[in-house]
Amino acid sequence: MKKSTRMIIGFLLLALLFLAVWLIERAMGTNSMVITVLKKGAVYALIAVSMNLLNGFTGLFSLGQAGFMLVGAYTYAVFTIPMAKRMAVYQYYQGGIIQFEIPFFLAILLAGVVAALFAALIGMPVLRLKSDYLAIATLGFAEIIRAIIQYDKLGPITNGSNLLKTYPTFTTVLFPFVVSAVCIGIILLLIHSTYGRAFKAIRDDEIAAEAMGINLFRHKQLAFVVSSFFAGVGGALLAMYQGTVQANAFKSAMTYEILLIVVIGGMGSVSGSVMASFLFIACSEWWMRFLDSELMIGTFKVPLLRSGFRMVVFSILIMLVVLFYRRGIMGDRELSFDMFRRRKGVASK
Amino acid sequence: MSHVLRLENITMQFGGVVAINDLSMHIDQGEIVALIGPNGAGKTTAFNCITGVYEPTNGAVYFNDQCIVRNQPTGRMKKLYAGDNRTPCEGPRIAMTPDKITKLGIARTFQNIRLFKSQSAFENVLIGMHLRRTSNPFSATFRLNLQEEKQMRQQAMELLEIVGLGAFAYEKATSLPYGQQRRLEIARALATQPRLLLLDEPAAGMNPQETDELGEFIVRIKDDFKLTVFLIEHHMNLVMDISDRIYVIDFGRQIAHGSPAQVQDDPEVIRAYLGEEEA
Ligand SMILES: Nc1ncnc2c1ncn2[C@@H]1O[C@H](COP(=O)(O)OP(=O)(O)OP(=O)(O)O)[C@@H](O)[C@H]1O
Ligand SMILES: [Mg+2]
Repeated sequence: MKKSTRMIIGFLLLALLFLAVWLIERAMGTNSMVITVLKKGAVYALIAVSMNLLNGFTGLFSLGQAGFMLVGAYTYAVFTIPMAKRMAVYQYYQGGIIQFEIPFFLAILLAGVVAALFAALIGMPVLRLKSDYLAIATLGFAEIIRAIIQYDKLGPITNGSNLLKTYPTFTTVLFPFVVSAVCIGIILLLIHSTYGRAFKAIRDDEIAAEAMGINLFRHKQLAFVVSSFFAGVGGALLAMYQGTVQANAFKSAMTYEILLIVVIGGMGSVSGSVMASFLFIACSEWWMRFLDSELMIGTFKVPLLRSGFRMVVFSILIMLVVLFYRRGIMGDRELSFDMFRRRKGVASK
Repeated sequence: MSHVLRLENITMQFGGVVAINDLSMHIDQGEIVALIGPNGAGKTTAFNCITGVYEPTNGAVYFNDQCIVRNQPTGRMKKLYAGDNRTPCEGPRIAMTPDKITKLGIARTFQNIRLFKSQSAFENVLIGMHLRRTSNPFSATFRLNLQEEKQMRQQAMELLEIVGLGAFAYEKATSLPYGQQRRLEIARALATQPRLLLLDEPAAGMNPQETDELGEFIVRIKDDFKLTVFLIEHHMNLVMDISDRIYVIDFGRQIAHGSPAQVQDDPEVIRAYLGEEEA
């Protein structure tokens, strides 16, 4: 098949998927469980892919994703709360000091830009060091930014440790789908450009990459900033999904959740990250919910089922994946037509 | 007097261990110069000093009269310094990173092959072309550099054909046999458009026939690409066949230098090699 026909078919399939999602929303209602999962899955897909760009494609072990999402989510919320509602939201801070609002799409972009700026600042000292320090430094950043945002003196901007709310949210499931698809598309284009090849070279062998004339620091910085930009955008989308934002929710557990998605999907596979996101969100929000509630069959109380048990099962699943299925669903391959054809061939035998 | 490469009193110490001791050498345009010596003599370390992987303890390296590396013992190295040359190298410290040095026009291959293992042979060569790009991240992402990308792909394919790997372009680099991996490393190095090519044991693991072919190949690419070649090799036949001059080092010191014929008969060289065999 020619490359151009493949692209056309790919876009048609994507359009078909969007249509299906839209029809489901029509049929089931915006607040149904399926749609909730699809919304959050789309948001997490973008965030997971942005993390994969760093961890899977450039070989930089960063644990700052929740921090950059937090920055993105707050940037979005702070600038989009309608003027009329600011007094109520910032009730402890006399309506806050930001007395204007910007259109929501600009705010989403701004969320990415601010997160990218933070990344550029942190990256400067850290990316020159060995990769191990990056994990510690980014984890530290995420924790510190969470504390700073809740700092009372910053309250007029961030609302301290209180909720931000009443900003524009999703009206349709298609919104996160389209934004995520566009962003992931851009990341894919980057990965398949000459810069993406340089990222993979750095991941495979830093010494050889440097001997090929690749400036390690500049390329790591680029991957880090781009990844954080999209984590920021993802944070803004998450804020829209949730309807309210509070810094306290962006704990390092959130980063681990995303890291888990990346590992399950396959380090270095964009389509793997996307599939794993929907799978993960469906499990945690829906299919495994029953584990958290007590269940009586007749007079028999099913053992173990109680609040918190879901996390236990989850942890065990994670361990199983890491122990026996380290390459994840996709390894470092991508979902493609060729692969599909081969699959079919095998199935028809 | 202009040389392509000039090493001035290079001493490289790892702590107290002197891996290279007061080494000076020069290479002229269009030459093939070999660096030989017993195992552990410091040959690879010399390459690493030239390419910026290691920073020498003392001495300077010039490439086309531009200083790319210069250092003198400082701090705790002042006390530890054990080079034969006692005068510290004059001038401010210069420590170019390997990528800058490659950009200036020095490319290398590695003794313990370092291909990008998750990538195809073709992609390995493409990565070698990245440093000559004119695109920026934005134009590359949004495909505003189609012309350049096409050119890169075309040149990468040509290079693969030149090293005889055209048929294996889409094979995973590490799935190729040893000899072909070494050729692929050369293709990748050529992709950076070097003026000076450093080859670290390019014939290691090759049989006699492959080694002969490699010799002819090195001479051919030297002429076709107007290169200067600096070569580390243990296969003496290959070295004697293609080298214009040979430097022999042992325990980090130069023990002989001259044409293949001169070096072959040098008593110091014979002693170094025989001594190694006796041990
Ligand atoms: N990073 C390092 N740290 C400490 N010692 C080193 C380091 N690199 C090299 N050496 C030492 O320097 C000496 C020279 O090593 P080098 O690899 O340059 O030898 P060589 O001439 O290339 O040998 P071979 O023919 O086996 O490749 C050896 O004694 C080695 O142990
Ligand atoms: Mg060596």
